[in-house]
Amino acid sequence: MSLIVGVSDMKVSDDTEATLVTYSLGSCIGVAIYDAVARVGGLLHYMLPESSLDPEKAKKNPFMFADTGIPALFKAAYKLGAKKQRMKVIVAGGAEILDQKGVFNIGKRNDAAIRKMLHRNNVIIDYNDVGGVVNRTIKLAVNNGDTWIKVSGKGEKKI
Amino acid sequence: MSDIKSIIKGIDKLKPIPQVASKVMSIARDPESSMSDLSKVIVFDTAVTANLLKVANSAYFGLHDKVDSVHQAIVHLGMDQVVDLVVISDSSENLKSAQEGYDLNAGDLWKYSVSSALIARELAEKKEANEINLIFTAALLKDIGKVILNQYVKDSFDKINALVTEQNFTFREAEKKVIGIDHAELGGMVAENWDFSPQMVEIIRNHHLPQKSSISEFESSIVYIADTICMMMGIGVGSDGLAYRFHQEVVERLSLSDRDFQKVISVFVKSWNRSIR
Repeated sequence: MSLIVGVSDMKVSDDTEATLVTYSLGSCIGVAIYDAVARVGGLLHYMLPESSLDPEKAKKNPFMFADTGIPALFKAAYKLGAKKQRMKVIVAGGAEILDQKGVFNIGKRNDAAIRKMLHRNNVIIDYNDVGGVVNRTIKLAVNNGDTWIKVSGKGEKKI
Repeated sequence: MSDIKSIIKGIDKLKPIPQVASKVMSIARDPESSMSDLSKVIVFDTAVTANLLKVANSAYFGLHDKVDSVHQAIVHLGMDQVVDLVVISDSSENLKSAQEGYDLNAGDLWKYSVSSALIARELAEKKEANEINLIFTAALLKDIGKVILNQYVKDSFDKINALVTEQNFTFREAEKKVIGIDHAELGGMVAENWDFSPQMVEIIRNHHLPQKSSISEFESSIVYIADTICMMMGIGVGSDGLAYRFHQEVVERLSLSDRDFQKVISVFVKSWNRSIR
């Protein structure tokens, strides 16, 4: 069963039949987390780096921003029994348009936001496929944590 | 290189934009036109009328009273919105099919086009543009060339992709180099073939801003920026990915900041989740 995570959305699951998927990331970031002992998986699709853009909006939808979405993702997985020290973390997306520099490079800023945040909380990123000009889709099987990243036009690979 | 003439012949295979959409667009451009002019054009096309009423009564607009005539729809939604709805419903058939060359499933190019059009409208309103309907429609139809070029992109994808990944070509530049024509140029030809205004033809042809535009620079820039924002959001993006050029000078000329970009993105998601998915 596919559980689709929309844009600015997050889902966690301990249903071993479930596969979490989020499509077409562009400059957005998809964060997949998995605890193999608890067999709990989570997937977040955030669009923007900082909730200071619109704190009101962040309250209503924390999954839009990195700094509110990432804590919400981990907390939701903890509730299902996952533990931080066992968590496998996979990050995909954050693409950029050619010659998109500085503050306009939202993809790069989205990537910087998650690196900073996870580093500060002593969480290691196990695999990351970010940047470049390609569009990605990420999929996580709750059963065993298998993860696939699809790049538009170039097919899907299991990681 | 493919035979350009046979590619251009592909235009004839598209479902032509019905007359009612062209008429509605010309009414929208005429400041002297009235609600009843608009209503008169629409009521004679039963399919368009049925579709308009269906959309007007949908939850998206949250109208209290049931709308059961074209006139009421115009009163409740306003002329601009009704014009948009007519144009959207008429262009959907061409844009809804799968485009394998661009790795787009059925509906993807359509989502991308509607998103671009809605964002272009928002930017146009923000910048107090005079030609809001022109900008909306051009943004909606700007990738119509992809529907024809699709087959050729599919056949030459590896060559196009090599230029993009190894030689810093944009996808459009690579299409032009490998196939001999690109989707924007071809889109401009479709618009000409459908007797669209010279401005519309130019915006569609120029929506990646390969060169400075002569007659519709402001409008082309708005459509270009809407397209850029859509690519960043990833909605309906295919094998061409984000491989187009970012022109920061164009963004700055319109006094748009990165914060403005982010605001547009954050506001858009809500209407997206509510209406299009």
